[in-house]
Amino acid sequence: MTTKHVNRLLLIVALAVAYVGVPLLFGGNAYVLGLIVAALTIAGVAVAWALLGNLGGMVSFGHAAFFGVGSYTSAVLAMKLGVPVFAAMLLGGVGAAVSSIAMLPALRLRGPYFALAILAYAHIFQILATEMTPVTGGAGGLLSIPRFPAVFGVDFGEKTGGYLIILTIIVLSGLAYDAVRRSSWGLALKAMHDTEVATRVVGVPSTHLKAAMLALSAFITGVVGAFNAHFISFLEPDYAFSSGWTVLPIAAAIFGGYRTVWGPVVGALAIYLLDQLLFKPIMPHGHQMVLGVLLCAMILFSPGGLMPALRRRAAKEARHAHA
Amino acid sequence: MLELTLQALFSGLLAGGYYATVAVGLALVFGTMRVINLAHGELVLLAAYVAYAAETNYGINPVMAIPVALVIVGAASALVYALLSRIHQDREINSLILTFGLGIILTNAILSIWAADIHSTSNAWFQDSVVVADTLFAMNAEVASFVGGLVLMAGVWWWLNHSWQGRAVRALSSNRAAATLMGVNPRKIEILSFLIAALLATFAGFAIYTGKTVFPALGHVLTVKAFIITVLAGMGSIPGVLIGAVMIGVIESLTVTYLSASLQELAGMILFLVVLFVSPSGLFGGGRALAR
Amino acid sequence: MTRQTRTQKLAHLVTVSALALSVALGVGAAQAKEFLLGSELPLTGSLARVGQGMQEGIAVAIEMANKAHAGKHSFKVETIDDETSPAKAVAAVEKLVGDGVVAITGGYGSNIIGPASEAAQKAGLVYITSGGVAPELTQRGYPTFFRINNTDGYALAMIGLLQEIGAKKVSIVYLNKDATSSLAKQVGQALTAKGVTVGTHEFDGSTSDFKPLINKVKLQDRPDAIAMVGYENDYVGILRAAKVLKPTVKAMVGVWSLATAQMAKEFPDLMENVYGTSMLPYPVEFTQPEAVEFAATYKTLFNKDPDYLGQFGYVQTRLLIDAVLRADEAGTLAKGGLPEELRKTDAKTLIGRVTFDKSGDNPNFTHRMGQHQGGKVVLVWPKDDANGKMNFPAVPW
Repeated sequence: MTTKHVNRLLLIVALAVAYVGVPLLFGGNAYVLGLIVAALTIAGVAVAWALLGNLGGMVSFGHAAFFGVGSYTSAVLAMKLGVPVFAAMLLGGVGAAVSSIAMLPALRLRGPYFALAILAYAHIFQILATEMTPVTGGAGGLLSIPRFPAVFGVDFGEKTGGYLIILTIIVLSGLAYDAVRRSSWGLALKAMHDTEVATRVVGVPSTHLKAAMLALSAFITGVVGAFNAHFISFLEPDYAFSSGWTVLPIAAAIFGGYRTVWGPVVGALAIYLLDQLLFKPIMPHGHQMVLGVLLCAMILFSPGGLMPALRRRAAKEARHAHA
Repeated sequence: MLELTLQALFSGLLAGGYYATVAVGLALVFGTMRVINLAHGELVLLAAYVAYAAETNYGINPVMAIPVALVIVGAASALVYALLSRIHQDREINSLILTFGLGIILTNAILSIWAADIHSTSNAWFQDSVVVADTLFAMNAEVASFVGGLVLMAGVWWWLNHSWQGRAVRALSSNRAAATLMGVNPRKIEILSFLIAALLATFAGFAIYTGKTVFPALGHVLTVKAFIITVLAGMGSIPGVLIGAVMIGVIESLTVTYLSASLQELAGMILFLVVLFVSPSGLFGGGRALAR
Repeated sequence: MTRQTRTQKLAHLVTVSALALSVALGVGAAQAKEFLLGSELPLTGSLARVGQGMQEGIAVAIEMANKAHAGKHSFKVETIDDETSPAKAVAAVEKLVGDGVVAITGGYGSNIIGPASEAAQKAGLVYITSGGVAPELTQRGYPTFFRINNTDGYALAMIGLLQEIGAKKVSIVYLNKDATSSLAKQVGQALTAKGVTVGTHEFDGSTSDFKPLINKVKLQDRPDAIAMVGYENDYVGILRAAKVLKPTVKAMVGVWSLATAQMAKEFPDLMENVYGTSMLPYPVEFTQPEAVEFAATYKTLFNKDPDYLGQFGYVQTRLLIDAVLRADEAGTLAKGGLPEELRKTDAKTLIGRVTFDKSGDNPNFTHRMGQHQGGKVVLVWPKDDANGKMNFPAVPW
């Protein structure tokens, strides 16, 4: 069996466990399932962030901007215009992608300049959401946002239903990410990474590609934000544009290995669940400190993240087995 | 209206000086190591809390607490450097994550030692007013911090331009390999820049404790502000930091005066974006800043 | 079967057999029991300060109940930090439900209490708080939701004081958050209706230099009084700016977190003559035995004088414990009788009389106004509760 086959098999097993095993195991435990949904929400943003970093070569400090725009777009469409919730959620993603057009001037900035420009956008959107009271409800926010409906006998407004939705969003995002990476676009983007001048000579319009990646990343983040709005059923500017929606996904992506497609997902689950299930009961007040220590340790001892570290270990064991 | 505008400009200038003292340490480290220390705001906050502890527990004047705070913040800053220097791969992003993690640790340490209450000096002198020509008003603390901050920044600027070590810092930031060949010991110079950043952070902490209020969540806010000003100024330029900070301070206070205090952050952010779009490497970045 | 459901089954079995045993022995109510209360609070994040304050009050209530019922019943509280995040507050409530708490006391911030109390309502668990004053919370009509204070009580106190001092022109300076802006609007509308000229100035949480704002008030509004609606760091910023600019006002009036022992101690020069809502004077002059014991217990546990957060946290938990005991006595505790029992509450407490209406709100809630005078907080409004004379006109400078 080649590694490609092994990987595909692994993916299928993981999907089976995720779609069937997890609901069976935790369906009755609202607490644990709620934590898993929250972890996956962060995972969704982490995947989108890593996509922008790997394919677009851009590090963003402001993904909360897309998260917030997506959640507000969807919530307002569903509440004020009566758009069905699932459609509103996708439109939330569209809204976030449209908002990325405002960021096009930032594309010519590099490194920390770009990262901070996006952060400034997140701040600006948050202030606008606070000030545009007639549409957004202002600082008071929106309470009782419609939940997901029941379809084919499955109540998507409940924990298990919500879990299936966010899981599907992440699986589709990951597959899309993988597909783009393998496509000719992905090759062009990789070439662009290596030398931007070279691609310009070859004739690839690098700014167009970058803009497309920014829009795709914004779309995914927006959909995840919209999902969260309908799942939690509540929004306010401080919450929707919280820097937590930027910071935790970055930490998760780094932790899991941001060079891989599924690393950010593994990282988000690991960080969030370890923090909430293990560290929080042990030290109720200082558990975030443990998170900080963990992040620092990961960077110092395995800078590639958890996934590569695990893979290295597996490879080592395989070698031992052969010997 | 004129009276309002004059006071707004004066307040903005003082606020700018305060922002600059917070930002300049971050800018210096950024200039030397190409590393953004996301724990810088927390170091500033640590200094402020040391001043608080000294004043409430031992009745020490915040000015006298500066040396104590300097030792503690200097040690913390050296530790940050020691950890940072172990990073070899993907330095730019990994150092961000590392210092971000250190910031979380510091914030939570401050929270568990000093709880979440707000604090500020109870010394009356700092809160007394300075009145210039019956139209310009400020607190003693603000004026003292502004003047002290300017002197410190001027000192650092002179040091960068005229001392051997200062030139080594600049050499290191423009071409690391060449500087090393010329006999510059990069580790020595880098740790020196971290210690000077600690000095600036300590002074900024003193300024906040006497002129504003401190609480544990403030560290992150300070880091973001310092970061924005550093980028606005361009790579590690000290006069740039001062000018950028004063621009932000003035536009904020003018927004309060002519529009609304709830829009001041918005105005600062828009100014920041406009400057970046017009001059993508900041106000004083020049061409070199783009080269890595 | 998962472990969770197995333990639940086991717990159920134990409860059933214990019940059967107690019925057989004919003891029932007299038996010693341990009651586990749940508490979901922000102990970290932006609301950490107020959350910790409420937690202290809850701890005092538990301590005093254990003393009062020593040998008969005992009480414990399981506290989970919601990290000032709605999602984590919901998770905390769900965890508490899974751990079998009888009810939840805690919660801070209307926006966090909203989703958290919804999760409690789903589980049929009582959620009692003093940390969320937004009208929307009680408009939902949840039978399990209770609170002992609301925006109206704060607004009435502020308006009452401004009326009593005869302010004709008032500038309201307020933070653009939910609780603060809705209170500011309510006060502004009520004053306008009474013929007072009102100027409003909104600011955001990042404001640390209030001089340009107060200068506008000083030069353009020229009010009789400045009404401040914010939190500690905002008050300190506003008062410092005012102390420097010295506008010609007759009074500086604020709301919560202002007329407190802590502010009097930390900022003695800044606070002189400033008004704020306060239930009790400082130093506390207690006459009721309950209040005396409360202050003493607080001092033993936390080595400081109780503040308003502690008082509210204490009162809500005390009322909950009383209702739990009554429901237990009546044998309805395990059968979902707690909300009904709590709704029967009619008690004279540290914060005045408390009853609950259908939506869980306390219609009796009115606040009092205190004034900082020489390092003390003197109650000055309403007249019936006043324990000293009002300094007027008077400002900190």
